Amino acid sequence: MENPDPREPEVKGLLAAILVAGPVLVGLVYSLLGSFSVVGPGATGFSLRHIQVVLADSTTWWGTLWTVWIALASTTLATVFAMGTAVALRGERGVDRFARLAAVMPLAVPHVVAGLGALLVLSQSGLLARLAFAANLQTSPSDMPVLTQDRYGIGLILALTWKELPFLALIAFSVIARRGPALEETARSLGAGALRTFRAATLPVLWRGLLPSSIAVFTFVAGNYEVAALLAPSSPLALPLLTMERYTDSALGVRGEAFVLVLLAMLVSLCGVAAHEWTANKVETGE
Amino acid sequence: MKRTRALPRVGLAVALAIGAILPLAFLVVLSVSAEWFYPALLPGQWTSANWNFLGRGSAVIFSSLGTSAALALSAGFASSIAGLFAGREIARLQGWRRRFAVALAFLPVAVPPLALSIGLQYSLLRSGMGGRFIGVLFAHIVPALGYTTLFFAGIFAVFDWRVEDEARSLGANRFDVLRRVTLPLLRRPLVEAFALGFLVSCAQVPLTLLIGQGLVNTLPLELMSYVSAGQDHLAATAGVILTIPPLALLIVAGLAVRRLRVVIA
Repeated sequence: MENPDPREPEVKGLLAAILVAGPVLVGLVYSLLGSFSVVGPGATGFSLRHIQVVLADSTTWWGTLWTVWIALASTTLATVFAMGTAVALRGERGVDRFARLAAVMPLAVPHVVAGLGALLVLSQSGLLARLAFAANLQTSPSDMPVLTQDRYGIGLILALTWKELPFLALIAFSVIARRGPALEETARSLGAGALRTFRAATLPVLWRGLLPSSIAVFTFVAGNYEVAALLAPSSPLALPLLTMERYTDSALGVRGEAFVLVLLAMLVSLCGVAAHEWTANKVETGE
Repeated sequence: MKRTRALPRVGLAVALAIGAILPLAFLVVLSVSAEWFYPALLPGQWTSANWNFLGRGSAVIFSSLGTSAALALSAGFASSIAGLFAGREIARLQGWRRRFAVALAFLPVAVPPLALSIGLQYSLLRSGMGGRFIGVLFAHIVPALGYTTLFFAGIFAVFDWRVEDEARSLGANRFDVLRRVTLPLLRRPLVEAFALGFLVSCAQVPLTLLIGQGLVNTLPLELMSYVSAGQDHLAATAGVILTIPPLALLIVAGLAVRRLRVVIA
């Protein structure tokens, strides 16, 4: 809605936003100075040493790539499942309502509990392995594929998909309820069949509506620490774990490297914020 | 459009229900079992020992639960009130200023908690709040405030400002408008924002870890240390306890996140 009072000082709104973001901005400046060894544990005065060490270390790049892979895979899976669920369960029958409720239930589960659940269900002696044994599919825990702390992060991806699906499904349900029927009706009245209506009307509406939220999920997942701490392998080390390892290192000189890693993580997040704002604006203006 | 057949829909509903409930049910069963070795599908022995802390206030799990609850309640309260005012002011902006302000408010939500922790640690340690409840509370409020500000920016984006104008034209001052008009109208969003702040605080791990410096022990940290120590039964108990308040709050608040779509979508 338009602001009815144009004389209201706009500075108050900007000030409020700066106050909300203030601690993050202060942290950003501190991390920036820490990267140049100006402040923080083991600071020795202006130097590029921390930056050079971190950027030359292959662990940094493998960790970053691995983190991006995990975030990309889990966000994609959650987005696809959310879209499929929203399309399949759009009705108003009891079974649809029940299924929608079931889809959003894990929303209430904290990430650390989701990580614990995945660990206990997917480990080689976990619930899945027990069910496989009961179904005569395996005879010992070693028959179960390694799904936790595994190199490809399968367990981590499954846990994050399980945790992020409810949020995206909730958005998808809302998008399809608000914007789907009118466009589909138009497509049908123009002679489009079921498949064509889905491809030309339903899918684009869902995609545009979900994209900002999917980017938000990607950003969040890329920076998540606790689920990675429970399910990620020690090599390659996920970016949040690598940062924590460096920041708590007993050698003070190494701790400065954590600031560079923080800036790297913030860069990923800022890209996410920019992409989020850009896509949200596109969706808002209907471009 | 061709109607989806009933059977696959029922199958999908059952799969979603199993997927949502099974991991949590496994945690519940694990929390009341004494021995449960592979490949048994059900525990060999049942026990209430993991829950005995409820009757003994001295247990570690009990004190960490108290700290978590106090942090979440305080962070929920503070962030919902501050978010109301911040979101209101941001919603009154227009054009690029509004987009810029929303992007700023999005920062505490988007920046990884670990990066936030490392950035905040310096100022909180310098101010003597490191390793103390108040420092961890302040740290929890930072991301919670980001969420509640965005939430209220969404609420006020569709707020009918004429109601306030009407009250002012009838002689109400700014405080009266807030107390008698705005707050009563926003009672439900305030409860939802409180729930949101509560949930954000409940979920914090790296912030508590680094700002609390091991001196402020919350339930998520306790859960992680149980996992490290291989105490799966206690970890499961902590997991169940951690899930109850968010589940209850979300039900009571009528799924607070539903309103988030105003901003995010």
